[in-house]
Amino acid sequence: MTALTAAATGWYVYGVVGGDAAVELARDLRGVAAERVRIVEHGSLGAIVSEVPLDEFGEEALPERLNDRGWLERNARAHEDVLQDFAASTAVVPLRFGTIYRDPTAVTALLTERADAFAASLEHVRGRVELGVKAWTDRGAPAARPRGAAELRATGRSYLEERLHEREAAARAGAKRFEIVQAAHERLLALAVDGVVNRPQPRELTGRAEEMVLNAAYLVPAGDSSLAREVALLDAEGRDAGISFELTGPWPPHNFVDEQVDRP
Amino acid sequence: MSAVANRRPLEEQVTLLELVDRVLNKGIVLSGDITLSVAGVDLVYVGLRVLLASVGTFDRLANEGAS
Repeated sequence: MTALTAAATGWYVYGVVGGDAAVELARDLRGVAAERVRIVEHGSLGAIVSEVPLDEFGEEALPERLNDRGWLERNARAHEDVLQDFAASTAVVPLRFGTIYRDPTAVTALLTERADAFAASLEHVRGRVELGVKAWTDRGAPAARPRGAAELRATGRSYLEERLHEREAAARAGAKRFEIVQAAHERLLALAVDGVVNRPQPRELTGRAEEMVLNAAYLVPAGDSSLAREVALLDAEGRDAGISFELTGPWPPHNFVDEQVDRP
Repeated sequence: MSAVANRRPLEEQVTLLELVDRVLNKGIVLSGDITLSVAGVDLVYVGLRVLLASVGTFDRLANEGAS
């Protein structure tokens, strides 16, 4: 029984592409668990897959492995790299990390059941790339004063008034930042086919002194640099308000495939 | 492998957080045969647990994520 479990494999699915030419692209690629990358074809669609050992990717093993930083980094990167390699030359619908089926027949069934949704999603992202835009603020940095003896001496009414003024100033600065970020998103959206605003990553995770105030992604035509130029412009404009803008990508369209397929 | 040589330098610099935020948190969510029970879990928060120094921080983030 134990030996049988150890030898068991599952079929890890990275994403879905148009079937034509995909098989050729998969040649020589290695993915998660350093396994070969192959294509399961059905009709005009192809699922990008690897056969993976279940002692690593099984139902019980996977949650455990995700807590292993080395394992997570290696395999998350492998998942992304495989998608990138396909995205460089064809439209790809990315699946979330860790989608695993028992055998190729189950993968074919997936392509059959959702053929129309996958086709629609491929059309939506074809010839387009995802760009990430983050905005950061060094909140409060210019206004902050060292707490010294003067502050300790301030008592009663003057102390409270001072605190109140500080709070009002902080609120005004916050409202101003919100306006800048909101306007930035609208300007970027105008240059994109589609856009999403995600929850900003907390400082505990980013490890940066600045606070993330925008975590957005935009879908743009591949090779179109107008959004990148706008981000540079926003960054220059935001300097006085203490807001910087950062561009990442191009990425496979992770943020732009849900709506068509993510329904049973 | 030739595929590795073709990858752009930018990817080499992509932080684990950037990567996890997309690879584990985005993309289409399908219930694979094997991952059926895992799919109920917010994978990104499972993954991010390893990036956090304290479990207390993780629990707070997980709660925020669930709300």
